[in-house]
Amino acid sequence: MSLVLQGVASGVVTGCVYALVALSLVIVYKATDVVNFAGGELVMIGAYLGLLLLLWFQLPYIAMFALVPVAVFAVGALFDRITLRKVGGRALAKHVDLVSFVVATIGLSYLLKGAVRVVPFTEEVRRLPPLFSGPPVFIGDVVLQRQDLAIIAVTTMIMLALWLFFERTLLGKALRATSQNARAAALVGVPVSAMRMAVWGLASAIAGIAGVLLAPKLLMTPDMGAVVMLAFAAAIIGGFSSLPGCVVGGIALGVIQNLVGIFISPQAIAVTPFFVIMLVLLFRPEGLFGESLALKKV
Amino acid sequence: MTIGMKRLAGALALGIAAAGVAVTAKAQTPPGVTSNEIVIGLFGPLSGPLVAYGVDPLNAAKMVYDEVNARGGIHGRRIRLVIEDDKCNGNELVGVVKKLVTVDNVFILHGGSCTAAIAAAQEYVLREKVPFVMLNAAGDNAVFPATRYMFGSFQGTQRVYGSALAQFAVKDLKAKRVAIIVHDDDYGKANLAAAKAVVERLGGQVVAQERIPPAIADITAPVLNLRASKPDAILSGAYPAPAVLLAQKYGEFGMTAIPLLQSTQGMPTPSVYAKNVGNPDALKNLYHTWSFNDIADEALHKKWVDMYKKYYPDREPGPFMVTGIPSALAVVDTLQRMGRDLTREKFVEAMEKLNLKSDVMTGPLQFGPGRRDALRSVVVVKFDGKTQKVMPGIFAWNGKDGN
Repeated sequence: MSLVLQGVASGVVTGCVYALVALSLVIVYKATDVVNFAGGELVMIGAYLGLLLLLWFQLPYIAMFALVPVAVFAVGALFDRITLRKVGGRALAKHVDLVSFVVATIGLSYLLKGAVRVVPFTEEVRRLPPLFSGPPVFIGDVVLQRQDLAIIAVTTMIMLALWLFFERTLLGKALRATSQNARAAALVGVPVSAMRMAVWGLASAIAGIAGVLLAPKLLMTPDMGAVVMLAFAAAIIGGFSSLPGCVVGGIALGVIQNLVGIFISPQAIAVTPFFVIMLVLLFRPEGLFGESLALKKV
Repeated sequence: MTIGMKRLAGALALGIAAAGVAVTAKAQTPPGVTSNEIVIGLFGPLSGPLVAYGVDPLNAAKMVYDEVNARGGIHGRRIRLVIEDDKCNGNELVGVVKKLVTVDNVFILHGGSCTAAIAAAQEYVLREKVPFVMLNAAGDNAVFPATRYMFGSFQGTQRVYGSALAQFAVKDLKAKRVAIIVHDDDYGKANLAAAKAVVERLGGQVVAQERIPPAIADITAPVLNLRASKPDAILSGAYPAPAVLLAQKYGEFGMTAIPLLQSTQGMPTPSVYAKNVGNPDALKNLYHTWSFNDIADEALHKKWVDMYKKYYPDREPGPFMVTGIPSALAVVDTLQRMGRDLTREKFVEAMEKLNLKSDVMTGPLQFGPGRRDALRSVVVVKFDGKTQKVMPGIFAWNGKDGN
């Protein structure tokens, strides 16, 4: 029994990792209909920026949480301003070629990975020290690291902050309006282009925070952005248009992977997300918490 | 026939004979060899995601050849390199190999940092009968089964690592119940097969064999399975990131009384590995295989590092730099033993007689008829995060276990 409980507990933590990355994907998708294939590389950039601040500038962890999101926000916002606006043309164009946007995000992922790889320091696996060190915490037979608890706490806080932002702030409401109907939002005075830039910045900042948080757990390599595939799975399971859904999807995925590893085979861990995606697409294509496909925005 | 016509016919006959002699002479000169130079096609991943495995090792190999040239070359011939980028990609590598053979007419091929990419060129190399010396790729698939023109694995194959860890676990640590964790790929398969064969041959029992995805994010389930099997020792063939995750979970789940034995590829720089694991308790009972003759982390191969800095003053050598040296030393040694009479077939025959103490690796680099993997013996090192202590004995693969 303790074996299963340990698997579930670790799965919840890993699931929060997937959920954090999925959050940044879903925010972009909700606002722009674009699937961001550079989401994982924005996580990776956040992690390496954190390492840079820690090792070269000897800044404390708290400074990382303040500076990394700002820097990665700038990367995302500039990507929208410099690339996506050129690729997509006018913000309110009737026929926007989403394929071009998606290809642009793939280009960004290669650019970021290539930029990091030229630094010799990145040749080896690196790790940020944990946010909270000390002996592990025992809950019955289940053992968790303090960093694991921090990941759960920060994921919860980010979820709450995003909910408050989208529900209670004018900027959040403007972003929602832009995502639901850009033309109508523009008619009532919402600066749609600025809103889209803000969305890219916000999603990138979340990815940056995820990078700082995940670097002690997943370890850092220029390829750590591959975690985005699991984040996609989490978002599809939860519903690509639902923020709470992607958190639930992420946690469910983390737990299922561990249970499969324990009861079936560790070899099956890698294929589990894709098997779950197939099941979800077969039986509930909109995901567990996604909007009905028939009601997708006009 | 007039005298003039006779002279013309004679001149023509002489001309044809002279041309025939020239053609014959040309046919006898192997491609890429002239009276004063030997052309070698040198390649590796100089761009792309696996560039870290290529740039420094290729520079190091070039440095070895430059040193030879600086001393006057080999039997009066200088080595000229034609350098190409294979990106560690099979298609690219095959294209590079064809270009080097058909356009640049190189004498031999020396390159490749990725076994899978090299395997893609194997058929072409065999058909064209061009000797191919692997730069620093060490995977089992390129050298097992042995083929006539491919030589490599100068750092030891996974058969060597799996066998060494298993021998140390059963013979030295007296482990009866051994658990093995490897990746779900060709490297893992070879490591597991050798380790399992050795454990069983020595009277031990493999109580768990976990095969994990190379990009695993959460290693909890496999480690729980290992713990549940109650092993006396755990052998790991994991790559760097999963190796760190394994050690972290092993420490977290209080398994540190069980010796953890890690293959070399999981910790290219032991001090970085220790820093990444972050938990000194997890390193109390840690051993790892090592195929280099120098274990001091900071002063690792000082002679070669200093030479590298002389040739490339603007570049700090990465951890894989020295892996490009043994294969270049093997090529130089072979060419020196051959004298001035060079052909590709004679190169293959001379390579089969290689027995080189490289001043880089733990054991001798050897090939033979039917043997194309160079290094078969490694040492085991106990590493507590600060100091490294070489365990007594050399652990050699017998050429059979796991085949």
